[in-house]
Amino acid sequence: MSEGFGSVGSFLVKTTNNRGFSPEEITEDLLTKLIFISTESHPAIRDQAIAFKDQIRPVIVHYMKQVVRSDRTTLAAQLSKQGHHDMAEIIRRL
Amino acid sequence: MPVTTAFCTSFKRQLLQGQHNFTNGTGNTFKIALYTSTSTLDATATAYTATNEITGTGYTAGGNTLVNVTPTSPTTTAITDFADTTWASSTITANGALIYNANATNAATITLGFGSDRSSSNGDFTIVFPLADATNAIIRIA
Repeated sequence: MSEGFGSVGSFLVKTTNNRGFSPEEITEDLLTKLIFISTESHPAIRDQAIAFKDQIRPVIVHYMKQVVRSDRTTLAAQLSKQGHHDMAEIIRRL
Repeated sequence: MPVTTAFCTSFKRQLLQGQHNFTNGTGNTFKIALYTSTSTLDATATAYTATNEITGTGYTAGGNTLVNVTPTSPTTTAITDFADTTWASSTITANGALIYNANATNAATITLGFGSDRSSSNGDFTIVFPLADATNAIIRIA
């Protein structure tokens, strides 16, 4: 929105019900910020940028899933150490 | 009329008075508060208000603290932005937001209108800020 001297950019509001965001959903937000492809850029450059974006998408998703799994391991270990074996098992099976 | 997206008039004046510092790490603390559809926040907002602020699981009055993106001027336009912010494990409904400077008597900077009620239910409520460049950044001064 433009008001002459200052402008406010476009933003998104994203919500979920009964879950958090998936690694795939967060990756899309990340890619939007990592690689911005202007509609006015040269077609060859634009194609290369899109190809690069498509190539790194699965790599980022993979490592995001690794982080989630690793964090669950830490959570389960902490719960287990505190004697909450049932809760630890629930976390492990997610 | 619910919250509308606007660059607050008082913020423009205060920028010229040097009242805001968006530098990451060493600058001011900026916060974002959420509001119901009853709120009419717009360019005339001057400061954070608890009136018509939302309540709900996972939301604390005053809102979230934002992570600043240090201002730059990639072209003739000067910009600043924020990292995305999330109310995790929340059950809330909001129609708009106000970003304010917690270090400058909660002075209003910009208002964000969502266009409709947005809700999370036992989930995440995230505001995704745009890319920090001259054509997209959330706060741009041309």
